[in-house]
Amino acid sequence: MAKQAKQKGTNRARSEFIWGWLFILPTMLGLFALNIIPIFQTIYQSFFKAGAFGRGNVFVGLDNYKRMFADESVWQALINTFKYAVVEVPFSIAIALVLAVLLNRHMRGRSLYRTIYFLPMVAAPAAVAMVWRWLYNSEFGLLNHLLNTLGFDSVNWISNPNTTFVWIAVVGIWSVIGYNMVLFLAGLQEIPQDYYEAAMIDGASAVKQFFNITVPLISPMMFFVSVTRIIAAMQVFDVIYMMMDRNNPAFFKTQSLVYLFYRYSFVESDRGYGSAIVMLLLLVIMVITVIQIRMQKKWVNYN
Amino acid sequence: MKLKKIMAFVLTMIMVLSLAACSGDNGSEGSSTDSGTSNDSSSSDSSSSDASGSSNVELTIAIWDTNQEPGLTQIVNDFTEKTGVKAKIQVTPWDQYWTMLEAGATGGSLPDVFWMHSNEIARYSEYEMLLDLTDRIESSDVLDMSKFPQEIVEIYNWEGTKQYAIPKDIDTIALWYNKTMFDEAGLDYPDESWTWDTFRDAAEKLTKDDGSQYGFGLRPSNNQAGWYNAVYDMGGYIISDDKKSSGYDQPGTIEAIEFFASMSKDGLMPPYEVLAENEEHALFEAGKVAMITAGSWMLAELCNNEYVIENGDIAVLPKDADSNRRASIYNGLGWVAAENTDHPEEAWALIEYFGSEEAQQKQSDLGIVISAYEGTVENWTAAYPDFNLQAYLDMMDDLVIRPYSKTTVRWENMANDKMILAWTGDKTAEEVCLEIADEMNALLAEE
Repeated sequence: MAKQAKQKGTNRARSEFIWGWLFILPTMLGLFALNIIPIFQTIYQSFFKAGAFGRGNVFVGLDNYKRMFADESVWQALINTFKYAVVEVPFSIAIALVLAVLLNRHMRGRSLYRTIYFLPMVAAPAAVAMVWRWLYNSEFGLLNHLLNTLGFDSVNWISNPNTTFVWIAVVGIWSVIGYNMVLFLAGLQEIPQDYYEAAMIDGASAVKQFFNITVPLISPMMFFVSVTRIIAAMQVFDVIYMMMDRNNPAFFKTQSLVYLFYRYSFVESDRGYGSAIVMLLLLVIMVITVIQIRMQKKWVNYN
Repeated sequence: MKLKKIMAFVLTMIMVLSLAACSGDNGSEGSSTDSGTSNDSSSSDSSSSDASGSSNVELTIAIWDTNQEPGLTQIVNDFTEKTGVKAKIQVTPWDQYWTMLEAGATGGSLPDVFWMHSNEIARYSEYEMLLDLTDRIESSDVLDMSKFPQEIVEIYNWEGTKQYAIPKDIDTIALWYNKTMFDEAGLDYPDESWTWDTFRDAAEKLTKDDGSQYGFGLRPSNNQAGWYNAVYDMGGYIISDDKKSSGYDQPGTIEAIEFFASMSKDGLMPPYEVLAENEEHALFEAGKVAMITAGSWMLAELCNNEYVIENGDIAVLPKDADSNRRASIYNGLGWVAAENTDHPEEAWALIEYFGSEEAQQKQSDLGIVISAYEGTVENWTAAYPDFNLQAYLDMMDDLVIRPYSKTTVRWENMANDKMILAWTGDKTAEEVCLEIADEMNALLAEE
């Protein structure tokens, strides 16, 4: 009797094992073919001076890396990417969290509001960038037009080298708030209402409740969001590519590392150098993520 | 329970069908990337019919100028009537065209017939991505290569032995001006007597203090239709004839750059940020600048714009007071076929047709571009009768081929980036030009 049960267990376990892998197989294949293999190919290519059309690669060892370390525009681009991430990530998380809390109450039109805030995620990034580009246009744009009607001077939103990255980050924040908000809403569902009721009985204000109950208990979700958002922000490309062109005086102080990668790999067909730049980005993101994971113990509350 | 099952089934079918429809669409739009900017007019599936019978062949044609598409489609229809071979034009904007082609080339799926440019011909020739047309040209009784400008034919000739393209057109540069603004300022319209000095004077008089109107607008990146022309007028050059050295350190070149940079610094052009964010033709069409220089490829855009129709006209470029030279940079596109096309004979037939006198004549008649074939241009001026298109033809007296080398894009982009500093006044024109010369010589040495 016992032997039969053990047999069944193994069969069952094996069947589950096989089915599990079968279900994951499509994603694994895609992950492998589209992500993992290209990573190794890129690493490989960074040691070559690439010929056109994938042929005629010449091995140059560390030359691409040496050139990269001496290249001012690469380091500036790294700083630019940091600046962008520093503006985009905290603000988008903070605003999204507040929105999620507000939209977690029972109110009329709650679904409608949630949809509206999520809509920017649905719009294509290229379309979003085009519209914002014209909003920001210093001569013909709507924002300056409004400012002028109210009596203020026009602002060079996206052509001022010192502040352009802020306004580009605003576009980034705008488009990602919805996504963060949905994640936070999910996290908020996990917080038992009892805590809030107890706090209310004790006379805590909404703000106090927010900082003392919500924030600590949503920290796992915040951790997830901040890690993924930082990774995505460090890879910013399409807003910059679509909103500014090379004539733009602010370009040098706004272009991101991925933009440089695009320029060298695709526009100038210098794939080896582009790959080296991407390696730098990979390294930076890995270091940041590792730091974040280590710091996790300090501020994330897992119950 | 049964309803649930039915619903689940229906939803799954909808998902599967929409996936198939989406991927079908993506398949035909595969050669044009970037959803937001690509101007893909042909949405039908062009890669479908690849059967062996010639009447079922459908060639893919790739171009980057959406303005030329309607006219070229007419010519293609003529071809289809004659031969039964169909062809579909796909437009990918210039900024993504070469990226799209390169991706296709690396993956082994280039369009059958496409446009080639002097910037890129070297790379495609060297790696043998193009169909060698030499023998076919020789045995053709329709084509007469001597009727095309030799310099253009040479661009697409690899190492003297292989002809990879048939010339398609030539383009020249001319001056556009706003008649209303000239009338308002009491100035005579530009004519052949204008020198760059008269031009500058006029620009000064046309610039209003309140910033609502500027005399001229030119972006640093606009070389072919902009400062390149003045460089040659003033005795400079961009690249030596043997393509081994840069001409940016020539006094004439520096003088030309200084001329335009000073116009920017002296406020005769809109503030640099405005120039950076808006293309010249947009500023002209908005009534912000009184004059711009534009290539003949901009006709469809400018001549169809309401504001320009009312207020604009064309004149020849100014000449240099000392040398009396009135150069126009010119370039010509070429029609090429992919080496690995599935239909080389049909692709060749199409290219041959495009190069025939008949098609070239039609190209000019429709006002698409100035055809490369000798003697086909008389009707071109009639395409937009309200404008003085003759100015573009007059500029053909002194043509300089657009500067190019094997790696044109690299030094051009480098030069354009540095040129920005001359416009903003952060560096003098001389400093900028000498820097460019150094780097360009280094890049040319690597070729």
